[in-house]
Amino acid sequence: MNFEAVIGLEIHVEMNTKSKMFSPAPVTFGTAPNSATLPIDLAHPGTMPTLNKQAVINAIRVCSALHMDIDRELWFDRKNYFYSDLPKGYQITQNERPIGKNGHIYVTGEFGRRRINITRLHLEEDTAMQHHFYDYTLLDYNRAGIPLIEIVSEPEIRTGKEAADYVDKIRSIVTFTDISTGKMEEGSLRCDVNISLRPIGATKFGTKVEVKNINSINNVAKAVDFEIARQNEVLLSGKQVVQETRRYDDALKETVSMRLKTDSVDYKYFTEPNLIPVKLTEKFITDAIATCPELAEVKYERYMQQLGLSEYDASLLIASKETCQYFDALVTLGVPAKIASNWLSGEISSYLNKNQVSIEIFPIKPSRMAELLSLIDKGTISNKQARDLFVHMLESTDSPAQLASKLGMMQISDEGALLQVVTTVLNENTQSIADYKAGKDRALGFLVGQVMKRTMGKANPGLASQLVKQELDKR
Amino acid sequence: MSYLDLTIKEIHEALVARLVTPIELVKEALERAKANTDNAFEIILEQEALAQAAMLLEPEVDNMLWGIPYVAKDNFSTKDIPTTGGSNILTGYVPLFDATVITRLKEKHAILIGKTTLDELAMGGTGKSGHKGKTFNPYDKTKQRMIGGSSSGSAAAVCAGIVPFALGSDTGDSVRKPASYAGLVGMKPTWGRISRYGLFPFAPSLDHVGFLTRSAYDAALVLNALAKSDKYDATCSDTPAIDYTNSINQPIAGKRIAIIEEIVKSKHRPEVIKAFEAIVEQLKNDGAIVTIVKFRRDLLEAIFPIYITISCAEATSNAANLDGIKFGPATWGTTYEDAMRNARTAGFSELIKRRFVIGSYALLRENQEVLFLRAQKGRRLIVEELNKIYQDHDLILAPAAPSIAPKFEDKTDQLSDEYLIADNHLVLGNFGGFPGVTLPLGKLNDMPFGIHVMGRPFEEGLVLAASQAIENHTGLRNMIAPKEVNL
Amino acid sequence: MKTISKDILKKAASKLLFDMTEAQYALLEDEFGTLLSQMDLIGKIPDIDSVAPMTFPFDTGNAFMREDVPEAPALVSDILKNAGHVEDDQIKLPKVVG
Repeated sequence: MNFEAVIGLEIHVEMNTKSKMFSPAPVTFGTAPNSATLPIDLAHPGTMPTLNKQAVINAIRVCSALHMDIDRELWFDRKNYFYSDLPKGYQITQNERPIGKNGHIYVTGEFGRRRINITRLHLEEDTAMQHHFYDYTLLDYNRAGIPLIEIVSEPEIRTGKEAADYVDKIRSIVTFTDISTGKMEEGSLRCDVNISLRPIGATKFGTKVEVKNINSINNVAKAVDFEIARQNEVLLSGKQVVQETRRYDDALKETVSMRLKTDSVDYKYFTEPNLIPVKLTEKFITDAIATCPELAEVKYERYMQQLGLSEYDASLLIASKETCQYFDALVTLGVPAKIASNWLSGEISSYLNKNQVSIEIFPIKPSRMAELLSLIDKGTISNKQARDLFVHMLESTDSPAQLASKLGMMQISDEGALLQVVTTVLNENTQSIADYKAGKDRALGFLVGQVMKRTMGKANPGLASQLVKQELDKR
Repeated sequence: MSYLDLTIKEIHEALVARLVTPIELVKEALERAKANTDNAFEIILEQEALAQAAMLLEPEVDNMLWGIPYVAKDNFSTKDIPTTGGSNILTGYVPLFDATVITRLKEKHAILIGKTTLDELAMGGTGKSGHKGKTFNPYDKTKQRMIGGSSSGSAAAVCAGIVPFALGSDTGDSVRKPASYAGLVGMKPTWGRISRYGLFPFAPSLDHVGFLTRSAYDAALVLNALAKSDKYDATCSDTPAIDYTNSINQPIAGKRIAIIEEIVKSKHRPEVIKAFEAIVEQLKNDGAIVTIVKFRRDLLEAIFPIYITISCAEATSNAANLDGIKFGPATWGTTYEDAMRNARTAGFSELIKRRFVIGSYALLRENQEVLFLRAQKGRRLIVEELNKIYQDHDLILAPAAPSIAPKFEDKTDQLSDEYLIADNHLVLGNFGGFPGVTLPLGKLNDMPFGIHVMGRPFEEGLVLAASQAIENHTGLRNMIAPKEVNL
Repeated sequence: MKTISKDILKKAASKLLFDMTEAQYALLEDEFGTLLSQMDLIGKIPDIDSVAPMTFPFDTGNAFMREDVPEAPALVSDILKNAGHVEDDQIKLPKVVG
């Protein structure tokens, strides 16, 4: 008996708005406990929710990126249950009418590129944070009320690789649209996986197991693969899969039982009476989408079509929003796309990997990098010299030109590089060539001077003179 | 006679004329508060009130509430002042913020002299269920009669002449019913007209901030101060408010008044109906056009179950934050659930618990369709019927209650089969958010009874105008219960 | 209409995290009897299911959305001053499992 896996993913994304979803308290990460709260976050009696406009705009942007139908009215519901991290004893969410429905995304895995449908996307609020100790728990309400969007896929994913790609694609969307830092390891992107197996070709669903506590995209694939294998073994041995919640244990590289799923909880959903439904105008929706930062897939096309990068180069860039931002800045500053792309995937990437840092704190900002790259472009320094200069620039705040001068790189003795400059100068000064041919020696001086000017005085004068003469003779 | 026994309007004139000062008013109000035996107060704010009054030296001619003492029901959040909601689960709770209406009144330099008793968490109509016990009706010195609820203490304070106005809340009739029993003007404006931010919620879709005064004009004054938009309350309207002391003077000639036949024909004391009919005649003489209209009986008989279902369901959810963890008397247990259970078991009264179970039951997945959602459907049918009436009429008039204030022994909080349309129709104003005013109609055995005027959303001006017209006919303005006689 | 058993009521109360006395459950059973027969009245309204449930008293037009401007947070000491048990600037509870 061969089984196929039926996998659905539920992703929660913490938004990086400035204030909370239904509370005007500031959104902060990693600040001192209970230092970013207002009475409403601790559910003081008489406090009332107010809807964060930016959170709505953000949700619209993600809905659009996922090709979803956007509800023109925003309705909210109460999800009622008691838990220590839920101050009101209910969560304000969207049960009946999620802001987005019927979307899709493409993932690539063992079966090639496949469309995965997305059931819904809705707005809700985060819970408080708990710190567990031996015989007590401490509550920090800073996180309580932070805006969340929840994205639920149809159970159409089949493998760990597909699942990982799905999460990666969602992460790309939420980071490129700038609504979240999208970091699984920090909890700003959380992924729960629902997995069941059934005989290949069957239509009825098998028993579903929920897997939580997955803290990286790699672990998404690992957790899913492990769970598929585990359930496979259970079924093949003639037993039943138990409906339960399991957590992925990073150390053991296994899913471990957490708790049995009892009868599904009755949340007694009803419409939130303190939030009057908001009617979204067409203009509001269109503006939200039009002002959205460029999506990765859009950049990808643009880098290839307009900037002439290869698929490979473009795909390397879009792996991270920050890399694209750096790249876009270089291009805006006049650096040719190919050169910018090469340096990002080459020297810069090496440095970042070796030092385990991200490009956001890379010490060379785009403006200095652009200066360096323009020196190469102008032929002022060679590629090798540029790489040396790069290393020095990491430690210094001087401009590349200043550094080059200090390091005695000023003189360009690279014959190949100088030859390029000489050729350019000659091509641009045909009159001077004629003059020289006509016997005016001063034309030689003039041309050499042009070479010196072009190399900002850094060309080896002797070599420059020699090359100019050499080339003149050829013409 | 003291200036404190006057209406706000009259006290203001005296303040401006420097015949009396805020300190003098507040001192007297505090004395009366302390001497009062009707159990109207959760807390009396002597120091705070005197301190505020001491700062008011220059009367503000255009500010009618300047220096006026008032009280607020203890379900309004008051910064640094313990607020209990009438429940032991909030004993010791000290809010960090003022309700918006408290802020507005502070800005007007009205002076809060105390927080008043209420049915626990505003969920009752007898004034019996608050954690401080029964609140009595100042009109009955034998202390056998209730003043109703849930705004019991607020009604008692105004009725006893302690202050000329009080804040209350009205979810099913909790300002307008006590007003009837206490000979007061009780106003519940349109839903969303006044911000609910800081009002402990009972059932948000039915909750209204309301207030009690002793004249229709005073009600207009208070409404002027409170009818404003509020960015902290998403349900608070930004429909521009008007000057209600202006619109209160509009003539009611030509206005169309509807009287719902099934309501007036339901069981009332004959004296109440007689007084009601007399007033109706006088309004006709004023030029109002009065029509008897029919209302579907099956809907009227469903009013109470619709109300109890929706309000208990919303209330159960609202009260889920009351767990002893963030505020309220400290609690512990072997598990967090135990800790919460201990707090809630000890903190809630038995009545409230029963109401919560009802509310929770109605929301259960297997019951929602048939109970909660049907109640909400019933609400829509009722409101649609009322809107039909308002297409052809401007106001709906009815007696506010079937009789005078009941005796405690005659009225229980337990749900009973005895059902009176006459006792339950005020909640029509909550279902549709319609503005309503109860004002004195007459007296029977020295106990007051009232009449109720209800209008279209945001037409408070007309409702107040009709109220004032009625007041001019009855002459029952500024009624204060006879003072205690010292033997 | 379902009849209510004490068991159901006890379960409901338990889920709401409070206990009631036996006497109260008996009272509640009575109340439920009354309530459910009254709710039957709603069920008997002929056109009851012909309309949608109503949450809000009337259509108030477009509601407002708050601008994303954070407010100054409360002082830690203030926000915790009403809590029964506090440690390390956090509210303390018995150990939460699961």
